[in-house]
Amino acid sequence: MPEDSKFKLPFEDGLGFCNILLSAIGGDGANMAAKMLFKLGVMKMGLDGGYDAKYGSEKKGTPTDVSVRFCRDGTVVRSVGPTTHPHILVAFHESLIKILRLNKGLYPNAIVIVNSTKAPEKIRDILELHSGQIICLDASKIAEETRSRLNMPMLAMLCNVLKFPTEAVEKAVEKQWPKAAEANIAAFKAAVNSAQKAEFPEDGKYPLVPFSRVRGELGYLNALPGGAIEALKYSTVKRNNSEARQGPCPIFNEDECTNCGMCMTVCADPGAISWKDKKMQGVDPSFCKGCMRCVVICPRTGRALRDPHKKEEKTQQKDKNTKALSR
Amino acid sequence: MAKAAVIEEAKVKASKPQTVWIGNGNEAVAHAIVQIGYDGEGYYPITPSSVAGQEVAKAFAAGKTDIAFIPATSELAAIGVCAGMAIAGGRAVDVTSANGLLLKAEEMPAIAGLSLPMVLNLSTRDVSAPLNIKNGHTDLAACLGFGWLILCAPTVQATYDMNIIAIKLAEAVNLPAIVAYDGFHTSHANRKIKVFAEQKDVRELVGEKPKGLSIFDVDHPHTFGPYMNDDLINTKVQLEAKMARAYEVLPGIFKQYAEHSGRSYNFVERYGADDAEVIMVMINTGGETAKDAVDRLNKRGEKVAVVIPKVLRPFPEKELVKAVAGARMILVGERVSQYGATNYLANELGAALQRVGSKAEIIQRTYGVGGLTLTDDDAEKLFEIAIRWPNVDDPDEQRRKWYYGAWPGDIESNPPVTIEAVTARDKQLNIGQDKVNLRDLSEMTCRFEKHAACPGCGIFVNLNLFLRGIDGPVVLMFNTGCGMVVTTGYPNTTFKVPYFHNLFHNASSTATGVVEMYKRFRKQGKIKEDITFIAISGDGGADIGMDQVIGAALRNDAFIMLEYDNKGYMNTGAQLCYTGIKGQRNSNAYIGPQQKGKTTHHKDTIEILRGTHCSYLFQAAESSPVDMIRKARKAQQTARDGGFVYGKFWSTCPLNWGMKESNGPAAVKAAVDSCLFPLYEVEKGITTLNYDPEKRNKKVPVTEAFKLMGAGFGHMVKPDFADVVADVQGEVDRRWKRLKGMAESEIL
Ligand SMILES: Cc1ncc(C[n+]2csc(CCOP(=O)(O)OP(=O)(O)O)c2C)c(N)n1
Ligand code: SF4
Ligand code: SF4
Ligand code: SF4
Repeated sequence: MPEDSKFKLPFEDGLGFCNILLSAIGGDGANMAAKMLFKLGVMKMGLDGGYDAKYGSEKKGTPTDVSVRFCRDGTVVRSVGPTTHPHILVAFHESLIKILRLNKGLYPNAIVIVNSTKAPEKIRDILELHSGQIICLDASKIAEETRSRLNMPMLAMLCNVLKFPTEAVEKAVEKQWPKAAEANIAAFKAAVNSAQKAEFPEDGKYPLVPFSRVRGELGYLNALPGGAIEALKYSTVKRNNSEARQGPCPIFNEDECTNCGMCMTVCADPGAISWKDKKMQGVDPSFCKGCMRCVVICPRTGRALRDPHKKEEKTQQKDKNTKALSR
Repeated sequence: MAKAAVIEEAKVKASKPQTVWIGNGNEAVAHAIVQIGYDGEGYYPITPSSVAGQEVAKAFAAGKTDIAFIPATSELAAIGVCAGMAIAGGRAVDVTSANGLLLKAEEMPAIAGLSLPMVLNLSTRDVSAPLNIKNGHTDLAACLGFGWLILCAPTVQATYDMNIIAIKLAEAVNLPAIVAYDGFHTSHANRKIKVFAEQKDVRELVGEKPKGLSIFDVDHPHTFGPYMNDDLINTKVQLEAKMARAYEVLPGIFKQYAEHSGRSYNFVERYGADDAEVIMVMINTGGETAKDAVDRLNKRGEKVAVVIPKVLRPFPEKELVKAVAGARMILVGERVSQYGATNYLANELGAALQRVGSKAEIIQRTYGVGGLTLTDDDAEKLFEIAIRWPNVDDPDEQRRKWYYGAWPGDIESNPPVTIEAVTARDKQLNIGQDKVNLRDLSEMTCRFEKHAACPGCGIFVNLNLFLRGIDGPVVLMFNTGCGMVVTTGYPNTTFKVPYFHNLFHNASSTATGVVEMYKRFRKQGKIKEDITFIAISGDGGADIGMDQVIGAALRNDAFIMLEYDNKGYMNTGAQLCYTGIKGQRNSNAYIGPQQKGKTTHHKDTIEILRGTHCSYLFQAAESSPVDMIRKARKAQQTARDGGFVYGKFWSTCPLNWGMKESNGPAAVKAAVDSCLFPLYEVEKGITTLNYDPEKRNKKVPVTEAFKLMGAGFGHMVKPDFADVVADVQGEVDRRWKRLKGMAESEIL
């Protein structure tokens, strides 16, 4: 039974929907958060709508879109797939804004929630937001400090802007993740308390950007037969893996390294460990996804290769000897 | 202004209690399967239908159903299991998509011909090369002539409802039935729907399975599936008659369903202006989405409507003709193309209209294939094209048949070369070398670069290490799986050497074909290059492709086949692979009161292949890198000498094992030390142990590995799994002893 059927959505489009887009990477828990939000909206707030994900083959670290569309109960729900016109945008990583051009299709006076240490003014320029409200919170730090997950502070802020009653939300979170209830609730509180908000009325600084699909330079006139790829020209070498990295790269200290080669044998992202003239050069941050396999296998672990998370090892001169290579 | 009209959605009051339920299309299928109370399900995972089976498995483990749920080794095997269940008088169900459907193709007309009622849920997906996992109706179109009943479900609600209707219809006429719902758009869409509150009401509605001929009737034995010659034509007449009968009985079933559930369906739904001049015909989510565009256009005074067929077989000719009556222009949108000919639905509708002398113009659009989702704005654009056609600006859109959403590309574009090919022609790091010096091997350039696998994934750890032991040019051939998906997202590739992905199960056969041509062209002097051919598969690819691997091994074809064994079908979401450990948790083998994870012991692939007497078999692991390089060298030499090599790696999957990424190396070491994964090789039948943890006093119980391998295995060290673990330990020790025995013998 809906507990609050008088609940009013902050936005409604021509079909009666309030569209929310969560932009995240695999492993962030955006899907779980969206599903919970959807259930909460339907079961507790008396809403209807849809929760759709642009599912790919979701590996940890690859971008993913999740959308929740709410409407009043009784509105017919027809269209499918993630929303192309969000009223509310939730960016789990600031870096996704540029890569995915997240301002596409955004309504005027949108609400944008971003996991960032930057000020809303700065984010507005990165996003090139036409108009609306930007809410910044350091969700990564909150998640780490409260030993929760990134999806919790982000979900907290989203529920906050939707004006879902805190108590109902916290109850639902507890029910969904009973083992992590305390940590999650702490993350919820920290998120709401630490957020920085700023309003940006329409001022002509940035135009509205309509929704458009990405159209590559290869189409039916010039794509190679069978979708073959010319490897020398279309290589993933241009990609920057650091977007997908969870946490930092290992720190390398040349002076402590014996060039034994063990790190090279276990690296999960071959190429991340650079060698020249049979000498280990260091870790390339544009490759490395931070799995720390190399650190655990290194015979001189903690000295030659070190996990920056682990503070106990004594390496005073770490920064001096660190080589962060980029190609 | 034209009035919006809805044919069908007449409000009926439900005589049986209905309740609100939230979930996606796949979950709705599973919910219906459990409520109907099927006797059995044959299962094989494929995106986007996988979850429909997983949810049934979950319900089984939880004790909510007693269904005989059989994870098979391929889709063909899965539906073979269903056919067996059906001939035994059981009520059987299956779910699949795309390539899975095509792999079942041989069994499909057979089941219809055998008159076996069952239900196949088809979560539609395109079938193509290059591979795509998203939507398209290639699979559905392939079914049109199989003799199966075909119901289409445009929404999550309809997906649930049609499942109950389908089994009733199937059993009423003794034909199998497909319920087709759109992959991703419906299978992964979460909606609030209504379902029967009480399971007993569903069971009562469906009723007992009508008694047919039985294979268990030993007093009156029947021969099923004989060989038939001229008589075959008569079976076709019988099939036709059953379809006609289905057309007769379906309205009654729809009516009965509406009385019980309050939800009514019809052969066809029409939505929009009564006096519509322009009509779009689309099945499933496309049609549903178009309703929003119809509302908008009707409001603007445009006389348009959408017609959504809900039944494709039997083809509701009369109802469709009636639904499009009055239209001057009909746009038939299909998520499939019959290249070089009119598309399927457009053809059938066109023929039907011709029979009634209609003059309506028909244009066709293929739309919404692959990643393209049809939005209401897209539907509006299609209506606008139809309203103005042929007077539209875009010359492509002036065609009668076209592909909505296709783009020409930029013919001027000519991106710069960014990498150098890795031929390793000049590298002599391995050939003729006795000693392995890892440091020296840093000179070998990696043949691939920057993939999108999860952090800490073992696939490329193994490939990187192994390929450092291979000199000269290589050609890589992959089975479908994580390894190919994370490397070749169009338009970019990770590989710096020639690469080919064909299908999920046939990299081995593909390699045979390639190698044969290599030998032939070399003999003809057309190729001078000394190339090493390597086929790469996950352990799942070696389940579904085992027969083809055995074929290559029996022929002793000159290439290297590598299997990265990560104990599951990881690309599709961690379903069980027969290589998995007994007790392991999988997304289709849960832990609950009725089940303790995977129920069988891990498959011993190398021992299966021993019987082929091919040249070289081995198991290698990153924990012994020098050994791995030696094996790579031996493998290359063997292939060069004209023999087949099969090598297997124990490969970590932090994502689906639920393992901390940095635990990888230790987890692999523990698997080797516990003899879960012995390092050994078999050269022309002679076994050598390359690492004996016992002799080195390093042998550990299997639980040491499970502790490190994450949540998918961690539960096995708990007391309530003591019996399972003892069983696994016993089996591992038994196999280890056997292996030692063989290693000690001179002839084994
Ligand atoms: C005929 C067919 N059935 C099913 C699939 C779906 N499918 C693609 S990859 C895969 C699992 C692959 O498992 P595995 O070989 O172990 O490789 P991994 O995903 O673990 O890398 C499945 C089931 C398919 N592509 N084709
Ligand atoms: S494993 Fe450690 S010591 Fe060996 S080469 Fe790598 S960083 Fe140097
Ligand atoms: S952490 Fe080490 S092993 Fe992992 S990707 Fe980075 S360099 Fe490679
Ligand atoms: S799911 Fe597992 S096997 Fe697949 S890329 Fe991720 S870690 Fe590797």
